[in-house]
Amino acid sequence: MNTSGIKNNVTTNQLIRFSILVYWSIFWLFNVVDKLIGGSMFLWVGRDRFAQFQKFFASAGLDSPMIADAALIVAAGLEIFACVFFTGALFHFLKKRTEAARSWYFVGIVLTLVTFTIFSIGDHIFGDRFELLEHTLFWFITMVSWVVYNKLEVDTGDELHLSRAQKSLASIVALVLVIVTSASIFSYNEDYFYRRTTAIESVQVGDNLYKVSFPFLGGSTVFEGSVQMFKDANPAKRIVQIYTVPNPLRLKKADSLIFYIVTEDK
Amino acid sequence: MKEKNIIRLAVLVFWTCFWGLSVMDKIIPDVYYLWVGKDFYALFIKFFASLGLKNPIFATIALAGISALEVLNFVFYLVSLVLFAKGEEGLMEKWFFRAIFSSMTLFALFSIGDQVFGDRFQLLEHGLFWIVLIASWVVFKHVANDEVQTARINGTKGASAAIIVGVILTICASFSIRNFSSHTFDNVDTAVNGVEVIDGVYKFDFPFLADKLVWEKTINTFKTEHPELKVNYIYTGPGELNSKKKTHMLLYVFTEEL
Repeated sequence: MNTSGIKNNVTTNQLIRFSILVYWSIFWLFNVVDKLIGGSMFLWVGRDRFAQFQKFFASAGLDSPMIADAALIVAAGLEIFACVFFTGALFHFLKKRTEAARSWYFVGIVLTLVTFTIFSIGDHIFGDRFELLEHTLFWFITMVSWVVYNKLEVDTGDELHLSRAQKSLASIVALVLVIVTSASIFSYNEDYFYRRTTAIESVQVGDNLYKVSFPFLGGSTVFEGSVQMFKDANPAKRIVQIYTVPNPLRLKKADSLIFYIVTEDK
Repeated sequence: MKEKNIIRLAVLVFWTCFWGLSVMDKIIPDVYYLWVGKDFYALFIKFFASLGLKNPIFATIALAGISALEVLNFVFYLVSLVLFAKGEEGLMEKWFFRAIFSSMTLFALFSIGDQVFGDRFQLLEHGLFWIVLIASWVVFKHVANDEVQTARINGTKGASAAIIVGVILTICASFSIRNFSSHTFDNVDTAVNGVEVIDGVYKFDFPFLADKLVWEKTINTFKTEHPELKVNYIYTGPGELNSKKKTHMLLYVFTEEL
């Protein structure tokens, strides 16, 4: 490890500590924003936590929205204080007040652990095993980030200096790859974006049975356009059923949505 | 309290709650007031039936065996927690090791079961819980060996401001949550309005809060409002038709004139 002359430069350890603080500050900041916004709006989808909490509590026999509101406010309070302390830790870190940053970070970590422990208890009660795994993993990530932060000494660590030749070579390779990738993405967009809205023609695969294979880009507009196109092309037919091919019958990830239109003569 | 003890307490509380509630889930196998839980009995019956062991005695014995191990885990963690509260560090560490080791054994058994029953997602889940247990043990030991300092937040710059900012933001969030709740709670029992998107086909965009009762109300309202139409077919739009998470469910009603 090269420690000579590092004190005036940024070390790898400092950068990792900085990244940890930025990650947790942003993590909780966006969770708080999600609570403040509530539903979907322009430029924000987020998650409707009120609906989620309401359904959870209703499934346990607590239908009143007051219960879901109270639980959500407690969760929001914990998230807000975690956000404030992580942001404070980041502020102290940038001001080179290492000990203060560590103390604030620790409070943020404790609040985060408390939040995920409470969420995990809720997951057990409401029987959501996927969320239990998710919250346990976040609890684990919190613990690990606390250990990693403490293990990294700010005054030591590897120097980040690279020679000019290495920098130039890496920059050229990166630039070429960025140009190739971008050209490919823009070209694909130019050639295939029409799939987002263009209706798909059905293919007759049996007596009164028609197949529609969706592109990955297709959504409800394509579905509606395709059904309209089918009806226009087959005015003598009545749709009696639409059958969506279930995942086990699709070719892993190569097939997108496929549905069959079952008809009868009018 | 010292940092070391706070972290150790967090680890002990998490795993004690985890196993305590897992045991509770086995004691309360069905859905009751204030408890939903997961129907492990049904899961085990299906798993063993898939092996060709259709007699419920196999699933029952397996579930009882697993529950016994979970009870053992819970007791070990609980004893560790009690010893922690009493300040008996040496004994607490011994019991915590027993707890971690028995939990790891249980997750290893679960993983074997997942491979036998071909459930790869549960295998990943149990593998992750297993590694989290090992990490918990490492963190628990790490804080014992480290020269950790007591967290002093009061003396640092901006501590009071942080509390004030936190309280103000919590009040703002509370108002926002209450406001959103009062504006959207009607969705719990309000019929969804349909839009005719194709000749004779109506689309219903169900909100997140809607459930089966909203579905019934929606169809009945639609039929009342359109006595001239006959509902031929109802199609639930699969997930691929939704724009990410904006809509909970799309429903298409195919009709024709009477």
